[in-house]
Order: sequence, then structure tokens, then C-alpha cells
Amino acid sequence: MKSKELSETIEINQQTPTKTILNPWQPFWAEQKEFDLKSGKYLKIWHGPQHPGVTGNMALELTLQGDVVVDCKTHVGYLHRGFEKLMERRKFIQCFPIVCRICVPEPDYNEYLFAAAVEELAGIQVPERGQWIRTLVLEMIRLASLTMGLGGQAGAFGLVPVGQWGVAHRDFILDLFEELTGGRIYHMYIIPGGVRQDFPDDEFPHRVELVLQKLEKLILDIEKLMFNNAVFKARTKGLGKIPAEWVELFGITGTNARAAGVPIDVRKDNPYLVYEQLDFEMILGSASDVYERSLLRKEEILNSINLIRQIFKKMPNKGEVRIKLPNVLHWKVPAGETYVRAETSRGEMGYYMVTDGSEYPRRVHVRGASYTHAMALLEQLAVGVSIADVAGLMVSLQTCPPEIER
Amino acid sequence: MSLKDVLSPFSAWKRTLEKPFTIKKPITEREGEDRYRGFHVNDIEKCIGCGTCEEICQNEAIDMVESYPITANKGDSGLRPQIDYGRCCWCALCVDVCPTGSLGMSNDYIWVTPNPDEWVFKPGIDEKEWKDDDKGYRRTEEAWLLDPEQEPMPVLEPEVRKNTFKEMAKGYQVTMALEEASRCLECGICIEACPTHMDIPEYIRAIRENRLEDGLKILYDTNPFSESCGRVCTARCQDVCVLGHNGEPIAIRWLKRYITDNTYEKRNEILGIGKPLPESDKKIVIIGGGPSGLTAAFYLRNYGYQITIYEKHDKLGGMLRYGIPEYRLPKEVLDREIKTILDTGVEVKYKVEVGKDVSLKELQETYDAVFISVGAQKGTEMPIEGMDTLGVLIGVDFLDRIAEGERPDLGEKVIVVGGGNTAMDVCRSSVRLGAKEVQVLYRRTEQEMPANDEEIEEAKEEGVKFEFLTSPVKISRKGDKLQVECIRMKLGEPDSSGRRRPVAIEGSNYVIEADTCVMAIGQKVDSEMAQQANIKTTRWGTFDIDPTTLQTNVKNVFAGGDCGFGPDDAIRAIADGKKAAYFINKFLTKKGEPLID
Amino acid sequence: MEDILNRLDQKFYVQARYVQRPNLAFVTLKKNVAVQAITYLRDVEGFRHLVMISAVDYIEQNMFQLTYILHNYQLHSDIAVRVELDRENPVMDSLHHLWAAAQVYQREIKEMFGIDFPGSPRVDEPMILEGWDNIPPMRKEFDTKKYSEETYFPREGRASCDPVKIMEKKLYRVEAEVKYEIKRVVRDNRNKSADAN
Repeated sequence: MKSKELSETIEINQQTPTKTILNPWQPFWAEQKEFDLKSGKYLKIWHGPQHPGVTGNMALELTLQGDVVVDCKTHVGYLHRGFEKLMERRKFIQCFPIVCRICVPEPDYNEYLFAAAVEELAGIQVPERGQWIRTLVLEMIRLASLTMGLGGQAGAFGLVPVGQWGVAHRDFILDLFEELTGGRIYHMYIIPGGVRQDFPDDEFPHRVELVLQKLEKLILDIEKLMFNNAVFKARTKGLGKIPAEWVELFGITGTNARAAGVPIDVRKDNPYLVYEQLDFEMILGSASDVYERSLLRKEEILNSINLIRQIFKKMPNKGEVRIKLPNVLHWKVPAGETYVRAETSRGEMGYYMVTDGSEYPRRVHVRGASYTHAMALLEQLAVGVSIADVAGLMVSLQTCPPEIER
Repeated sequence: MSLKDVLSPFSAWKRTLEKPFTIKKPITEREGEDRYRGFHVNDIEKCIGCGTCEEICQNEAIDMVESYPITANKGDSGLRPQIDYGRCCWCALCVDVCPTGSLGMSNDYIWVTPNPDEWVFKPGIDEKEWKDDDKGYRRTEEAWLLDPEQEPMPVLEPEVRKNTFKEMAKGYQVTMALEEASRCLECGICIEACPTHMDIPEYIRAIRENRLEDGLKILYDTNPFSESCGRVCTARCQDVCVLGHNGEPIAIRWLKRYITDNTYEKRNEILGIGKPLPESDKKIVIIGGGPSGLTAAFYLRNYGYQITIYEKHDKLGGMLRYGIPEYRLPKEVLDREIKTILDTGVEVKYKVEVGKDVSLKELQETYDAVFISVGAQKGTEMPIEGMDTLGVLIGVDFLDRIAEGERPDLGEKVIVVGGGNTAMDVCRSSVRLGAKEVQVLYRRTEQEMPANDEEIEEAKEEGVKFEFLTSPVKISRKGDKLQVECIRMKLGEPDSSGRRRPVAIEGSNYVIEADTCVMAIGQKVDSEMAQQANIKTTRWGTFDIDPTTLQTNVKNVFAGGDCGFGPDDAIRAIADGKKAAYFINKFLTKKGEPLID
Repeated sequence: MEDILNRLDQKFYVQARYVQRPNLAFVTLKKNVAVQAITYLRDVEGFRHLVMISAVDYIEQNMFQLTYILHNYQLHSDIAVRVELDRENPVMDSLHHLWAAAQVYQREIKEMFGIDFPGSPRVDEPMILEGWDNIPPMRKEFDTKKYSEETYFPREGRASCDPVKIMEKKLYRVEAEVKYEIKRVVRDNRNKSADAN
């Protein structure tokens, strides 16, 4: 069968680079390949920057031999809005509404990390209920992002119904966000000091539960349509294998690392917010291919559902959700430096913040979770892949250009 | 590949029978959630145009624009926000920061227009479908980004201060001042309310940035009595402070005091006082060394004129010295502040009463210009029987005596008649003089009392009793006690000042026994000197002046302060002094030309 | 954490150290030992994960600070290595050979700050800013507001009023004139006496 042959070539192509580490200063990832484009053997095409599914606007400069990629260079810059620079001329509170725009599917992680970094430097303690609500929001958005991501993954391989289901179910979660935060995509809800408001009413957890049940039902359908699908299996098994030893070399985190069997999860390793009080297991895979990563993300959805239920059960019923900040127009944060991190659905996201005692941050650096996945890693993984599978591969790495170029 | 994997995907077909997730067009039945952040709404009656929304907007989406029919007014700039929806990011920080709570967001989200100019509009003023929506995002108490609570001023405990004339308020510590200063929004609505229009946001910023020397300079740009004002000003600025709409206003007065408290030792050095000023050969006389006269002297000296002050008492300060008790304004504070003014090179003739010892006519002829600021020093008497009974005192005279250092014995029970700040000064001084029971009689209710709320509150803490809706009608003496006969009042129709007029209730007379009764019902101006120089006066006894230029009918004579406008507070007098300096200079430099366009 | 920092100090001389949290420490190292120290931290102390490389512009001190955050998966701790570079000639040794991820960070820093990493693959290729002809934009002297005002045009018909100025104009025109005139006179005198000193 043709797909089987293809996966064999993939393996050969991926094995070659790891064997050629001879010069320590010139490792395989630093090799510059030259192709004689005039020979007629190769074809160079641009894949993007229009995005094929949910990968975001980035371009791949692909050199093809037949329909197989022999070289890939990623190009970003289509979504660059200079957030890091903009923050340097905004007061701390004014940064709060722009950080969420660094990631479309998961804006709340930016809000949380920005708030956490400021709070750490300013010595602010968030009230307990505020912390629980933050955790809830983060898990809900992980759920939304994973649901859409899973749909995108299926869509990239032609399973459009799953994509539609995913987006529709994400919208049910966005409805909940609209209720809780007043916004659908960009919530601007986790503010330094806590969260903006408490639940709209006591019935809110119940309405969340209804959506969770819908999602559980959806997962059953997705299993049948996507994971027990001969075509999907044929196309994704063996595609985009990430060797476990690459995890550290490429700085791979999150589900991409866990699918390779490397047990790293910020929620477990460096628990933030209230994750220590929640009961969950790290989900690990081993095959490390696109199929495995999709499977893992499906498990993560179920895990998130479980976590949300736990949060409602364990969170305190009453209490402050935020503390008063000093007058935000003149708020000065003491000089300092810190790095805070959280586990997004794409991996470790972090904020490195430097303050100098003024009303403005000196420097904010956002470590986008997919920064290395989409840049260094994708360039290596795409080699040997059929052009038809490149989009699926990108989705499986969960590229997110806005957080790459910030 | 198993057969199961080939067949299982077909299970998706069952979903074809399900109701679609999508909503049919037009999307009418789906309203935005209660908290939805849609287009803005603005309660234009509540909004005061402070511009804090513009300040916090990171996208520069908000402009403050003039908005018919709203016009500028006391405590309202007349501006209203106009929002450019090409820039708005719907973050609602403007709503969360709004000090009055007027700004909100509707839950409307379905609106579109092809005309880009229509995306810029004034919420609450321009007609939009959602203009009166009450659903949508609103600021809640917990989400408010501002701190509604004032930093409390440390004061002596009531039990302690009851027995002493020592200053009651202790002044802010550094951290308190910084905390309080950081509450300021720098909108500048307060500047208009201050009669002398001090640059309040600027000096508060100086505190925040720990530039107290600059702060002092800013204070002296507009007010050479900043130290006294920092203690006793009626703080009209605080009445209009934006934060006062939903919380406590900034303690502007205490912040001013904080600057002067921390700089007075080096004041002359910081302000460059004592250094040579421009010199002119023109001479100006100022009659009355109160806040108004001294302020005029200070600024006229800066213009370079030679100044002589004629003062009736043996000390300067006017009502600040003789009208305000020591526990609010210590004499040493006043003395050092007056010294700063005199250090600019002002000549003072003490114990000379113009009109008696020297004629106004003579002064008007010998000097290039005259500024009359004699104040309103005469206490008003009540037109009732028994005003000359032993033990009946006049409020201002009483305070005058205390200021001179007298400590009269008032007996066990003191009655104070009146509801103004003078009445508060009298009753609280009486407490400190050892009266066991002090009772204030006021003919209206507490709401109508002209005294500052703070003063009333503190008087209550010190044990002063208040009796409202009552007024004395007759005072007589029986043995060693006064018999004060009072009549009950009720509130009738509002009068011209908008306060409801008290009306006596027939036959409700009753008698209160007391040792002393102090009348603190008002002051009037002693303007007898006016006729010596043919200066017109009004029927209230004040000098008849042009309200803008302070000029009297005699061209080189100006009058201001209480004797120009009737009894008012110190800051008003200071403002008049400053204004007089400006117009006297204009009068002297532009001979013959009109003073205003 | 302290032990690791002490060992690091013995080998490479830590100029300054600062423990922000029990699991996050900042150390300042000399430029010439930084790459060795990072290699040591990676290979001996187990800080195998390069979290990120970032730069901070301290224009007042004429210095760039490079920050390498390294993570140890066993200890769940981070060490952030800070290296101070001269702003006039910002060059740093590349560590693309240690981590594949490093080359991307270095490319970005080269583009955004103009800090060079000789030898790093494709370091001179533009990453985000194709066709950029201005100074590296993350440098403090690059003024985004000014740039956008020069490059783009604002929407027409937008103007804002200052509440203070409008109230002066509408409510107390004469008094405002008095205020500014008096203020000018007083300040002139004050400045003159200050100049005389």
C-alpha cells in the first residue's frame, strides 16, 4: 500500500540526521542543505501564510522532491504586532488587555502569566477563591483549545465533520466564557490581583456541567469517527515521529513531549495556582507520532473535564475573588526579575518580566509554547513528509504564530 | 487495518438527524449575556467629564469632547467621552476605572454600518438603539479599580483633645501621604472649585514623586497661605473631587499640609525669599493684614511695588489669627507663615486703625493704590430681647479673646447659637475651656448646616449636643443663671438660596437654663471709613466693587476679601488678594486703559 | 539550589546572584565564561531544558543583558544566567550547538536587538521583520509611537479636550489669566534669585 511505503521513507529520512553528528559545532539541526533547483528534480513552493486549518498564519518554504518534502524553512512575521515592545510603554494595568491577544485559542494563559509575574514582583497575594476561579478558567480554555485543535487535526486529514463538531463545541464553552467574563474570545478576566468578577450566579457550575456532558458525548463520537478510522490511522500513524532524545534538544514541552514518553507537565512539576490540590495523572504516550499526539490530546480533554468537576467540588463557596490594587494609574511595581510558567495545551508557556520600579515594565518576554515546536522542530520533522500531510503535521505540533512573533 | 476501523466512521451519520448547532439569521433571539461587553452606554447626568476613561484607555480610543447640551459647570467639565470603535478593544478598563460609575457597556453586539465615521460616537448622547440598555457590563464594587477610602488623618483622641488647645490633627506620615497621593486621578476638576485655582493635581504628583520642594513652589505660585490652608481650608476642591462621587474625596487639604509640614524649615531657601526682587517706585497701601491683604502684599511685592500694611491689631493674620482657634491652627504655624510673606520686604504699621487714627482719604492721595481688606470682623447680634444680658457673648469677639490668650470661665453649661463654622469653633473652644455641657442651637436641621461635616462630626465626638429646629427669642437672667427662651421651628418653603426657610411654631416656647450663651450667627463688615474717600458701599455694608476687577468707584482703591463680598472663608479672601495684586498692577502699568477687555 | 550556585561560583565566578524563589535563581556571569558555564549546567548539573533566551536593554547603563533561563527537570528548578554586554559592540558566543532551539532565539535577538551571535545558523536572515530598514525595534531608543506617527496617518477629525483647560476657558477665564500671570511673575523672580546664586 502506498501509505505504508510512505511511512517507511519517513523513517529513513528521520534516521539519517541523528546519525550524522560528527562535528559538535555543526550538529544536524544546524546543517544548511543546498539543492540544485535548476536540475529539475526539485520544486520549491510556499505553503502558507494562509492557514490550512488551525495552524495560524505562518509560511513554510518547502523544497519538494516529487510530493515529498526534502527541506523546510519556516517563516513567521505575518502576525507580528510587537506586544513585548508595546508593553514597555504601557502602564501595568494597560498591558492587561493586550496580553491575551498573544494567543487566540488560549488567551487566558497570557492573562494569568502576566498577572502572576506582576503579582510576584509586586508581592500581591491573590485570594483563595480567586485562585480557584483562575484555575477553572485556565482548564476551561484548555478544553476549548483542545476541542478545536482536535477538530483541526481531523480536518487537516479530511475529516471535516470532526472539525465542525470541534468548533461548535468550543462555542458552547465560549458561551460559558461570555457568561462568566463578558467576552467570548478575549476574556480580559484574569487581572492582576485576582479575577474581575465572581460567578454570575449559583447555577453557573450546573451550566458548565451540561457543556461537559455534551463534550463527553462528543468524544465518544470522535473516537468512532477519528481514532477508529482506517484512513486516519493510515495517514497519521508513523507520521512526524519525535525521538524522545529530541525533547531536550529542541525544548519540546507539553503534549508533544509527553507523547514521546517524556514525563513533563508544569502542572505536576511546578504546580501553580491550586493544581496541588487537584487529583490527576500525567498522561503519557510512547509512539510519538501524529496519531499518538491526537490520542493524547483526546485524553487531555477528558482530564480537563475531570479537573473542572473537581474544581467545582473543591473550591470554597464564598470569598473574595480579587484584592484592591493601588491606584492603577500610578501603580509602580518594585524593581525585580522573574520567570513564571504554566502548562498550556501546547506546552510550557512562560513570562519573563523585568521591572525597574517605574510605572511601566522594563521588559516582558513571552515564551510561546509553540515557539520552538513551530520553528526549529517543524523544519526537521517536515523533511520526508508528503506535502499532503504537512498541514496535519503542523496542527499536531499545535503551531501558534502569534505567540512565536508576539 | 480491521474491518471495525472501516465501519466505525459511518456512525457519524446519526448526527445528521440532530438539530443544528447554528443559529438562524437574523440573529434575534440570542441576546448577549448580562456581562457582555458590547457598545458603551454612558449616563450623561452622572458623568462629569473627568477624562479618567481617556487616561486609562491603552488604545487611545477615547476622546473627551464638548457635547451639547452638556455645559461646563462646577464639578463638571462639560466634556463627555467619544469613542472610536476602530480602536476600542472592549476591555472595559474605562468602565472599571470610571469614578462616577456613569460608563458602562451594553450587551448589544449586532450592529454594523458601512460608514466608518459612524463608528465614532458619544455614548449616551448620540442616538443608538442600546442607549438606554440596562443589561451589559457594569462596574461592580469589587471590580472598581479605584480606592474609595481616604487615608485617615491621625488625630488626638476626643478625651484628650477636649482638655487642650493643642493642635488636634497630627499630620500625615510619609507612607500615608504617598498612599493618599496615589489615589489622585489628576483629572483637575478640583482646580476650578478652588477660589484661587491652585494646581492641585500637580502638587499631589510632586508628593507622589517625592519632590516636596517642587510641591512647595507650586503651592506658592497661587497661595502664600498654603500652610494655614493645609489645616483650616474649607476645601471646596474636596467637595467636587471625582472620587467623592462614589467614595471619599482625596484629602487634598491634608496633602497640602504634608508638603508644608515637611518643608517649612527651609521654606525661604526653597522659594528664594529674601533675595532681591524687582523694585518699582510705586507705593501701595494695604488696609488690613488678614489673609487677603497679606496675599496681595506677597504678590505685589513680586511685581516690585513698595508695600505698607496698616493693621488694627498688634499682630497680623486677621481672621486666621482671631477667628480660628489654636487647636485647628496653631499660632506658631501662622506666625512662621506670615514671616515668609513679610520676608519679601513688606512694611507693616501695627495698631493703626484706618478711619480713626489715619484717614482713608489721606492714604488714597499719598499712595499710588489702596487695597482694602479689612474683613468682616463685627459679629451680628440677634434682634431679640436681652442681648445685653451679662453672660451673652458674640461669637467672633469670644474667639478673639481666646486668641489673645484669655481663658474665660464660661460656667457649667454653654449655649451656642448658630450653625456655621464659627459656631463650631465656639462650641469646641467652649469644651476646651472646661464647660461641662455645650449645646448648639440651630434653627434648621443638620442637613442645612453650613458648617463642614467634619467639624460637626468632631464636635459630636467631643460631647457637644445639638438641638435643631430651635431658635432663641428672649434671654433674661435669673440669679446666676441665664434663662434662654426658645421657640421650635419647622421648615417651610425654600428661599432664594435654596435652603428651606425655618418657620416658628406658635406657642412652642420653652426655656433652657445656661451659664453662658454665645451668638455665632454671622459677621458683618465695618466700612465706616468708606465715606472719608467717597467710596460707595452696598446696603450690606460691604464695599461696592466690580466683582471681576475688585475696583471701587474711586479708581485707585480696590477692595476684596470679606469686606468686598461679605463673610466667606479664608481661601476666598486669598483668591481676592491675588486677584487684587493682578489688577492693581494692571491699573498701575496701563494707566487709563480698561482693566478687562 | 545554594549548593549548585556555590559550585558554579567556584568554577566560573558568579558576579552576582539573586534567589527570586526557592526554585528560581538569577546569576550574573562574565561574558567569556557564560557558554562554558551553561554547558556545565546542562551536562553536569542537569539543567537540560533551555527555557528561553531573552535580552533586556539597559540603555541608561549602556548595556544589554542577555538572560538564559535553564530548567532542571529533576529538581524542577530554574537558573537564569545573566550576561552583560556592551551596548556599543553587542556580540555573544552562540550556543546553537547545545540546543537546536537556541538558534531561533538567537536569530530573533539579532533581529530585535542587534546582538550578534557569530556562527549561529541563519542568524542574519530576517525572521519576523522582512524588509525592516530601521534600528532594531526592541532597543529602547526605538520609539514605536513616533514611528507609527511618521509611517501611518491618524484618523481625521479626532481631537480631545483637557477638562482643566476647557473649564478655564468656560468658567473662569479672567481668573485663569490672573493665575498664569501671577505664576509667571513669581517663577521669574524665583528663577532669577536661583540664577544669582
